Amino acid sequence: MTAMSTTTRPGAASPPKAGKTSGGGPRRRRRSLPNGLPWILPALIVSVGLLYYSIGYTGYISTLKWDGTSPNPESVGLDNYGLLFTDPIFWTALRNTVLFFLVTFGVQTALGVFCAVLLHSRIRLAVVYRVLIFLPVVLAPAIMAPVFRQIYAAGGQFNDVLGFLGLGFLAQPWLAQSSTALPVLMAITIWQWTGLNFILYFAAMGQIDSEILEAARIDGASNWRILVSIIWPGVRGTTIALAMLSAIGALKTFDIPYLVTLGGPNFATEFLGTFIYRESIPLAHVGYAGAISIMLLLLAIVMAFIFGRRRNSEER
Amino acid sequence: MSFSSVGRTRLVRVVAAAAIGGLMLTVSACAGGGGGGGEQGSATEGEVNWWGFTPDLGVGEDYIALFNEEYPDIKVNYKFVPISQYDAALRPALASSSGPDVYDVAPGGGIASITAFGGSAIDMTPVLEDSLGDDWASQIAENGVTGLTTSDGKLAGLPVGSTFGGTLWINQELFDKYSLTPPTTLDEWVEVCDTFRANGVGCLAQGAGQVAFDQDTLQSIADSIEPGLWTKASKGDADWSDPVFVEALEIWKKLFDDEIMVPGALGLQQYPDANNLFQSQQAAMVMMGTWYMQYSTVAGMTAAISAAGVGSPVPFTAISIPFPDVSGNGNPASLYGDPDYGLAVNSRSKATAAATTFATWLTTTTAGQQAVANALNTIPSLKGVEPDWDNVELVNPDVQRPSLQALIAETATVKEPRLSLVSADLQQAIGVAATSVAGGQATPEDAAKTLQETMKRLG
Repeated sequence: MTAMSTTTRPGAASPPKAGKTSGGGPRRRRRSLPNGLPWILPALIVSVGLLYYSIGYTGYISTLKWDGTSPNPESVGLDNYGLLFTDPIFWTALRNTVLFFLVTFGVQTALGVFCAVLLHSRIRLAVVYRVLIFLPVVLAPAIMAPVFRQIYAAGGQFNDVLGFLGLGFLAQPWLAQSSTALPVLMAITIWQWTGLNFILYFAAMGQIDSEILEAARIDGASNWRILVSIIWPGVRGTTIALAMLSAIGALKTFDIPYLVTLGGPNFATEFLGTFIYRESIPLAHVGYAGAISIMLLLLAIVMAFIFGRRRNSEER
Repeated sequence: MSFSSVGRTRLVRVVAAAAIGGLMLTVSACAGGGGGGGEQGSATEGEVNWWGFTPDLGVGEDYIALFNEEYPDIKVNYKFVPISQYDAALRPALASSSGPDVYDVAPGGGIASITAFGGSAIDMTPVLEDSLGDDWASQIAENGVTGLTTSDGKLAGLPVGSTFGGTLWINQELFDKYSLTPPTTLDEWVEVCDTFRANGVGCLAQGAGQVAFDQDTLQSIADSIEPGLWTKASKGDADWSDPVFVEALEIWKKLFDDEIMVPGALGLQQYPDANNLFQSQQAAMVMMGTWYMQYSTVAGMTAAISAAGVGSPVPFTAISIPFPDVSGNGNPASLYGDPDYGLAVNSRSKATAAATTFATWLTTTTAGQQAVANALNTIPSLKGVEPDWDNVELVNPDVQRPSLQALIAETATVKEPRLSLVSADLQQAIGVAATSVAGGQATPEDAAKTLQETMKRLG
């Protein structure tokens, strides 16, 4: 209980009797107001007003054929949604999103757990390693994108390193090929976000009862057995939370593909975010882009719902 | 912490009212103000905000400095927005009441499209009549007016100058170093590139990931096969599945297969990647048009080389050459072009009068157009204005000046448009055809067929 909640306010009246609904209006309204309402009201109004207004307005725009500036948009009902489901670029973007999520989440999880386990053991310079692993998380993609464009260019440093290692036959224009551009974006994302997985797993592992680990060791369990049977189940909640964040992050992916490959070559790295941008800005199909945005929102909600249910069932 | 119930109720009301008021203000601000109307403000004083994707910042500021010699009481603030971000920045700005007073527009459906942004501009026809008289049409480049006129007949921008594609720019010093002559056929082009590659220099820098520039190369190839068919197809008078375009895509693919293009061209953007490769002398050729004349000057090229990441920039001799006869049909290389950009005056501006003064000065007066000519950024739209060569510091005047003069003279004969007939949808469809063929995902026949089907579906 906080001090605030136990304070008796001067002038506060006792609750009215049941059935008496008139005669004490203002006093009764005052009593029904929660304590924190004045403080959250501005944020509530802004979030409900702006956020949900924006969602509603986007929903409205999605029913228009509109270039974004014309004063006379044409209402087309749900035609934009019909168009969306027959648009191969939409399905390419969706497939890329799913692949992107599966690979980045899988690798980030494996690396995050591996690094967290490693740094929970007593190794020298652990703090330095922690900083090094986490550092990419705080670097802005806009800063890193040109660097990666240079590294993975046909004459870039990645190919130079391959050549230095005697693997020059593997050198290729990584960002210029449909087959390699998406994996490069995945690698960049994994490099950038593994630090977050690591730090969350590191914290979650700190919550596992050390006595259980001790007991397992006394019983002769190997490190691998302890990892699989004690640590991994112990951090399952973190894994589900990270899966949800990764899934929604994959749906919203925009910066890295836009800055590194512009969604190309030939839509090989198109995501829903870049697709929305392409349709709304260069092509000025603002109504259609609204329909894609609503679809993205629905997918995000479905994802959150699925992972939320999974988490609830785990907790039960 | 506590407060009286009366005070609390009052606070709730005040906070709620403030929040709702703030929200309404925000929404109303987002919704923007009213439309245009008559001229706003003074024509000889005030502050004008100009947004553009071209010219470069320094050139824009030079224009303003010259303008201020004549109109010292009009302050012009030039905001240079990179071409890749221009549409994204301009669209919401024009939808608000705080957008630019003057902004760049361009013909066609690409960047700064007159189709997309012409609706926010005032009609400039009366301005031209005031400035140049009733025979204004005979005094400025014809394509400047047609390219910047909207479908409903409004002249949405005053043309600053025209720009033309269809040329290659070469690093003359690298050609001289390896005793090479500019290629005139596909076979010669392959040989030249073999030599450059053998010496560790890339050949043709092309940002094939940036569709507008693929379009230039494809149009040049198509013109080499059958001049004029590209323009016909752009108008809808010919099919994109025509064998000429299939052959054009086959030759386009050969540019990649024969390694005329630098490695990884499909992953490059024309700006900055291809431009930087040329400016840093990592590539000997680049597919650019007349807008590249600006890098013939010492100042222009020094700045460009520096921007390409070269520590101690040393300007080199860059000249334009005709696009090689890649089909072997013997057709002469052609130029195609339209207004580079025009200046539109925002109908919502609070300073339309001063904005109009600036736009009119730069586009219709001899002083303004001379400044445009001397920057070598674009071919002036006012007829009879040519660069004042004695005041233009070229890197290698003996070689570059005759080359530039010939190029400028040739633009006077151009009939084919470059971008004005190409909608954003067509541009994307051409880009898909180009990149899918280059990447090996489609045959030239299939890509041309898909392009035609796409354009038919889009109407």
